[in-house]
Amino acid sequence: MSRVSIIFCLILVHFLNNCLFSGNALHALRSRFKDPTNVLQSWDPTLVNPCTWFHVTCDSNNHVIRLDLGNSNISGTLGPELGQLQHLQYLELYMNDISGKIPKELGNLKSLVSMDMYQNKLEGEIPKSFANLKSLKFLRLNNNKLTGSIPRELTTLSDLKVFDVSNNGLCGTIPVDGPFRSFPMESFENNKLNGPELQGLVPYDFGC
Amino acid sequence: MIIEPRLIFHYAMMSPNLKNNLVIFSLIFFILFCASNFPPVVSFYYMEEAHALLKWKTSLQNHNNGSLLSSWTLNNVTKTSPCAWVGIHCNRGGRVNSINLTSIGLKGMLHDFSFSSFPHMAYLDLWRNQLYGNIPPQIGNISRLKYLDLSYNSFSGTIPPQIGHLSYLKTLHLFENKLNGSIPYEVGRLCSLNYLALYSNYLEDLIPPSLGNLSNLATFYLYDNSLSGSIPGEIGNLRSLSDLELSNNKLSGSIPPSLGNLSNLATLYLYENSLSGSIPCEIGNLRSLSNLALNNNKLSGSIPPSLGNLSNLATLYLYNNSLSGSIPGEIGNLSSLSNLALNNNKLSGSIPPSLDNLSNLATLYLYNNSLSGSIPSEFGNLRSLSKLSLGYNKLSGSIPPSLGNLSNLATLYLYENSLSGSILGEIGNLRSLSDLELSNNKLSGSIPPSLGNLSNLATLYLHENSLFGSIPCEIGNLRSLSDLELSNNKLSGSIPPSLGNLSNLATLYLYDNSLSGSIPSEIGNLRSLSNLALYNNKLSGSIPPSLGNLSNLAALYLYENSLSGSIPSEFGNLRSLSTLTLGYNKLSGIIPHSLGNLTKLATLYIHNNLLSGSIPSEIGNLRSLFNLELNNNTLRGSIPLSFRNLTSLIRLRLDRNYLSSNISESFYIYPNLTFIDLSHNNFYGEISSDWGRCPKLGTLDFSVNNITGNIPPEIGHSSQLGVLDLSSNHIVGEIPTELGKFNFLIKLILAQNQLSGQLSPKLGSLAQLEHLDLSSNRLNNSIPKSFGNLVKLHYLNLSNNQFCRGIPIKLEELIHLSELDLSYNFLREAIPSQICILQSLENLNLSHNSLSGLIPSCFEKMRGLLRIDISYNELQGPIPNSTTFRDAPIEAL
Repeated sequence: MSRVSIIFCLILVHFLNNCLFSGNALHALRSRFKDPTNVLQSWDPTLVNPCTWFHVTCDSNNHVIRLDLGNSNISGTLGPELGQLQHLQYLELYMNDISGKIPKELGNLKSLVSMDMYQNKLEGEIPKSFANLKSLKFLRLNNNKLTGSIPRELTTLSDLKVFDVSNNGLCGTIPVDGPFRSFPMESFENNKLNGPELQGLVPYDFGC
Repeated sequence: MIIEPRLIFHYAMMSPNLKNNLVIFSLIFFILFCASNFPPVVSFYYMEEAHALLKWKTSLQNHNNGSLLSSWTLNNVTKTSPCAWVGIHCNRGGRVNSINLTSIGLKGMLHDFSFSSFPHMAYLDLWRNQLYGNIPPQIGNISRLKYLDLSYNSFSGTIPPQIGHLSYLKTLHLFENKLNGSIPYEVGRLCSLNYLALYSNYLEDLIPPSLGNLSNLATFYLYDNSLSGSIPGEIGNLRSLSDLELSNNKLSGSIPPSLGNLSNLATLYLYENSLSGSIPCEIGNLRSLSNLALNNNKLSGSIPPSLGNLSNLATLYLYNNSLSGSIPGEIGNLSSLSNLALNNNKLSGSIPPSLDNLSNLATLYLYNNSLSGSIPSEFGNLRSLSKLSLGYNKLSGSIPPSLGNLSNLATLYLYENSLSGSILGEIGNLRSLSDLELSNNKLSGSIPPSLGNLSNLATLYLHENSLFGSIPCEIGNLRSLSDLELSNNKLSGSIPPSLGNLSNLATLYLYDNSLSGSIPSEIGNLRSLSNLALYNNKLSGSIPPSLGNLSNLAALYLYENSLSGSIPSEFGNLRSLSTLTLGYNKLSGIIPHSLGNLTKLATLYIHNNLLSGSIPSEIGNLRSLFNLELNNNTLRGSIPLSFRNLTSLIRLRLDRNYLSSNISESFYIYPNLTFIDLSHNNFYGEISSDWGRCPKLGTLDFSVNNITGNIPPEIGHSSQLGVLDLSSNHIVGEIPTELGKFNFLIKLILAQNQLSGQLSPKLGSLAQLEHLDLSSNRLNNSIPKSFGNLVKLHYLNLSNNQFCRGIPIKLEELIHLSELDLSYNFLREAIPSQICILQSLENLNLSHNSLSGLIPSCFEKMRGLLRIDISYNELQGPIPNSTTFRDAPIEAL
């Protein structure tokens, strides 16, 4: 067997494993959701990969890159298995009735460009693990029931362009480093935030 | 005093004057009768009882059956006395005192049974006949009755309250009938009662508290009814009770603590009710108790440690409740215990090591709880144990080697825990083992060859662990094995040919491993096999033709391997096969014609291989086929006409081949079809309007073919359509307005055709649309304003058309758009500054138009914008100061 074909086989095995993996992850997600309008009807678990399911987009290697379930009447919770979709770039779950905490495993989505989970009923804290989402450009978590402080670790997300956490129950101060230098104040309004951080003077979680 | 009915008859006919005298006379007469054995008078009573019995006999439906009650007749031998009749016993006075007619097939009712004719009857047993109808209230007239058994019949209606008159009654058995209504509280007056059995009826309502008066009661059976309400605390007064069974009712409320007073109780069955609350610790006072079953209720709280006092307890069933807390170590004191089932609760904490004192334990079920910690190594002392199930817990640590001492063990279930370490060879000592389930743990190491010694093993589940190494060939010695599941591990090496010896094997799952080498031809010897799954391994070589011998095979999964060679034509012999999946391999050659013999086939997946030749017309014989995927091969030729017969099809993928046929002739109407992908072939001809007659169609992909003609407006009837891709064809004409009816359309791709005319504003009704690509056509006029309603769009490409006029301001509403391409059109006027509202936009191409005016400075605020191209327009003014513009190549501006 030539070297090229060995490499080809390795790639093939890798992506086949991955297909199966993402199908399982999405199926697990489905089982956590209530879907009164049957938006997920086409999610047939017997198929080897999920690329022909509606609202799921794959790249040419059959990796799931988009999940589009915005405004779909979905309720239920998110689970750790979502973190297995390693190639996911767009996670669009906006304007639903999703409740519970944001799983910290979403921080494993290294390719994620956009996470839109605004207008849901999410609670708990913004996971610190989001600091691992180095490709993230859009993060919209506004209009939920999130509490705790804005993790300082998010200041390391140098690609972050659009950030909105308005209308939550967040506390502490607003970060000022990295991309946070340029986010408009509207992105933070209607929280219990104490204004921009005065570094060295008060701890960032002051008032939490 | 008992007055004979016939005397009353005479008495009533006398004149009033005579009556007084006659009363005296008859009293004398009666005393004389009782004192002597005066034959003519005795025969008078015989007559009365015999006639009553005969009257009842003739009322029975099957009284003409010669053998039934043949001795019940008035002839020279029996004269008029029934005492010698079958089932009849008389007292020394010649009066009937016992009727015992069990299991003789009597069919009829009791309405013609004259209860009052038998004043001396103490014993009435009609057990196991086919009697039906109500129990007559006159039964209350047999006032000397001590024993009444009407069980195993079909009596219906309610229990007559008059039964409460039978004050001598010691036994009342009415079980296995169809009695309904409530238990009359008058039953509580039967103060002599020892045995009460009303089980297996349809009795409802409350258990009357008056039953607490039955102070001599020894057995109390009300199970299998529909009794509701709570258990009356008065039952705790029944100090003689040895057996209390109220199971299988609708009893609710909590268990009365007063039951702890029943010091003689040996059996307490309250299972299958809706009892709630906690188990009263007073149950621990029942020192005589040997069987306690409270399973299938809603009991909560913890298990009272006082249960450890029940030194005679042999069976303790508390399963299927909501019990929490830890298992009290005191359970280890129950040295007589042989069955302990605490499964399906919410028990936590670790398993108490004291359980190792239970030397008589045969069954130990603790599965489906939240038990943690490790399996106590002391369990190796439970030498009587035959069934051990600890599955579905949070147990960790390794499997103790001492379990290898449990020589009577028949089932060992440790599945769904977090057990680690390796499977020790000692398990191979358990020669009685028939079920070994260690699946869904974190077990590592290799499979011990000693498992091959378990000659009684029928089930071996080691799946979903981290086992590595090869499958020991000794597994082939397990001749009793019917189910072998080693899937989802890290097993490597080849499949041992010895597995071909497992002649009873029905299921063989080796999928999701790293098995290599070829599939041994000996697998073809497994004539009992019905499920064979070897997918997702590294198996190579060709598929052995011997698999064609597996005549019972229902499902064969070989996908995701590196199998080469051709599909054996012997597969055509697998007449039981309903699922065949061979996708993602390197199979070459043609699709065998013999597959057309597999008339039960529902799923045929042979996609992503190197198959060549044409599709055999015999595929059209597979009338049961739901799923057919032949995509990603090198198939050529045309679609056989027989495809029109595949009317059961739900899913059809032929994409990425070299198929060429006239698309309008090759397919017909598939009423259940939800998915069809014919893309990347050489299909030609026009799209038939018949596709609109597939009402469940969700995906229709005909892209990259040579299809001509128009888009038929009838396609709009496929109301479930979510994806429509007709791109890269030669389709002409306008986009039909009817496409605007697709309420569920998510993706519409019509790019690279020759579509012309203007876009209907109705396309703006596609509210679910996420992806719209109409690029590279000849569409003209303006971009409809209604496109602003497509709020879920993340991709919009209208490039390379002939759109003119301005960019509609309404597009500002597409707030989820990440890519917008309007390049290569004739768009005029200024770029509306509202475009800057599209905060999700990453790629924007407006180049090669006739846009004029200033470049909107608000572009600077489009923070997500990654690429922008506004070149080849008539724009003027300063270039906005943002990274996107600074980074853009000069030709893009």
